[in-house]
Amino acid sequence: MPPGARPGGAAPRPYGVGLGWRPEIAGFVAGLPGLRFAEVVAESVHPHGDLPDGLPALLDRGVAVVPHGVRLSLGGAEPVDPARVAHLAAVARRLTAPLVSEHIAFVRAAGIEAGHLLPIPRSREAIDAVVANVARTTAELPVPLALEPIASLFDWPDDELSEADFLTEILDRTGALLLLDVANVYANSRNRGEDPLDLLDKLPLDRVAYVHVAGGAEHQGLYHDTHTDAVPPEVLALVTELCARHRPPALMLERDGDYPPAAELTAELDAIAAAAGYPAITA
Amino acid sequence: MQDTWGIPGPTFIVGYVIALIAVAVLAAAHRKVLFRGDKNARVDDLGPQQVAYLNGGDRLAVYSSIGGLRAAGALGTSGSALVQTGPVPAGVTPLDSAIHHAASGRIRTRDLIGEQWVRSALDDLRGGLERRGLAVSSEALKQARLWALAAGALALIGILRLIDGARNNKPVGFLFVAVVVVVFLTWRLARTRRIATGAATSRMRELRERHGYLSPAQSPSYATYGAAGAALGVALFGAAALYELDPAFAAEAEIQRAAAHGFAGGSSGSSSSCGSSSSCGSGSSCGGGGGCGGGGCGG
Repeated sequence: MPPGARPGGAAPRPYGVGLGWRPEIAGFVAGLPGLRFAEVVAESVHPHGDLPDGLPALLDRGVAVVPHGVRLSLGGAEPVDPARVAHLAAVARRLTAPLVSEHIAFVRAAGIEAGHLLPIPRSREAIDAVVANVARTTAELPVPLALEPIASLFDWPDDELSEADFLTEILDRTGALLLLDVANVYANSRNRGEDPLDLLDKLPLDRVAYVHVAGGAEHQGLYHDTHTDAVPPEVLALVTELCARHRPPALMLERDGDYPPAAELTAELDAIAAAAGYPAITA
Repeated sequence: MQDTWGIPGPTFIVGYVIALIAVAVLAAAHRKVLFRGDKNARVDDLGPQQVAYLNGGDRLAVYSSIGGLRAAGALGTSGSALVQTGPVPAGVTPLDSAIHHAASGRIRTRDLIGEQWVRSALDDLRGGLERRGLAVSSEALKQARLWALAAGALALIGILRLIDGARNNKPVGFLFVAVVVVVFLTWRLARTRRIATGAATSRMRELRERHGYLSPAQSPSYATYGAAGAALGVALFGAAALYELDPAFAAEAEIQRAAAHGFAGGSSGSSSSCGSSSSCGSGSSCGGGGGCGGGGCGG
């Protein structure tokens, strides 16, 4: 069931534009009158202690807050850590979240922490590992799981499948939703010299739970999905292309540092709303 | 052996301790009334510098202004002196203008409070807050400190009795303890300091909760919140917020991180008054030693 959908078949009301809640900009987020959807890094929430300052007020307003995991390592060869799965499930309950999200990536192997989200090879073997880990995770989760493919600066030599086939197969076999990061789509296609629309056309867009929109910057010939720069016009154009094909129920600005003045954040949120055809949430 | 001053030791110590408790309780009660302020006073319409004054006095008001001017790009440092780095922003307060003007002559942060224009802007700021029942007036402070006279007189009596009692070869242990307590009480009452009234202090707590996103614990993005957010962050959460905003600048400008620690600030004065009344606790333990057979008693 996509977010916003209600049991009983009533027409789902889309969430529209949201943004990633971060403590550094909590005051800005709290001041957005039209906000109905935000995302919080799951690992920053204690499932039983006090919620981060500012989050309770958002929940009281009825804003849907989605926990976004970054440390589960669903793409790892070894089974996911049951304690991390339990944490994600507890946070989802705590926030009464409509869904949770995690990455198709690995962050540790053989007990060694990478500290980054690392891409997994697009092979049958890797798909089996991801599918098993997603099954272990969703078995414990009270709500649906959305999977986010990551931006990768390189491809593994043993890739057997195209990105679209790889993702579609994972979604089909797990029943999970897709968290599509258009900035990643843009970054990957630009760095690989491909057309991002080709990927959009091949993905099961009806499975998109929500969309990340973020900024990036070019560095030594490669485009980096930094989350600390402004959203480039090409990414906004991709949002428009995506919404023309199948508009997702929610899109959100993902900013993780180097936060700009409030007016610039407002302008970015408005630009995303305009590109997607959703109402502005800033006034 | 004759009783010192014709009063038996146990009688004197009991009377002395009762007098001590009476002074402490009356002083505390009087302060509560003096520092109560206007219960209906509002703080919603206060500017950051007024909030800063209530929270940490002149120094935090200056720091808050510096924070706002820095975030607006109007202030920098050269060596450890403040210098102008841009025009004075539109719509600033008299304190902002005074500090910005003072920076044209390269001034150190700690000398700002004594600078003529800054001093006068701070006095105006305090005057306005006093009239609204948010800041404690110097008149009320003077009245509160008068209680030190009562405590001081009690200390003097105790010391004289201590001397005479010792000369008389009477036990003076309990009296000595009571005198120490009275001297401490006198000292606390004489240096009574208080900036915000009780009403202002509780309103400020609400403000701090409402603007919790500006707390240094949140690593707030001052670029997002702007100059007003920076000034309010310093006002509510102390100089630590200035280090969060711009560590290099704050260090060069010799901002004293511990100067106003947000949460302590204005309330420290009042809590010390509770301290003095709780010192009666130790006085009553003296009283407990009423049956002073062979032990040390009231001379």
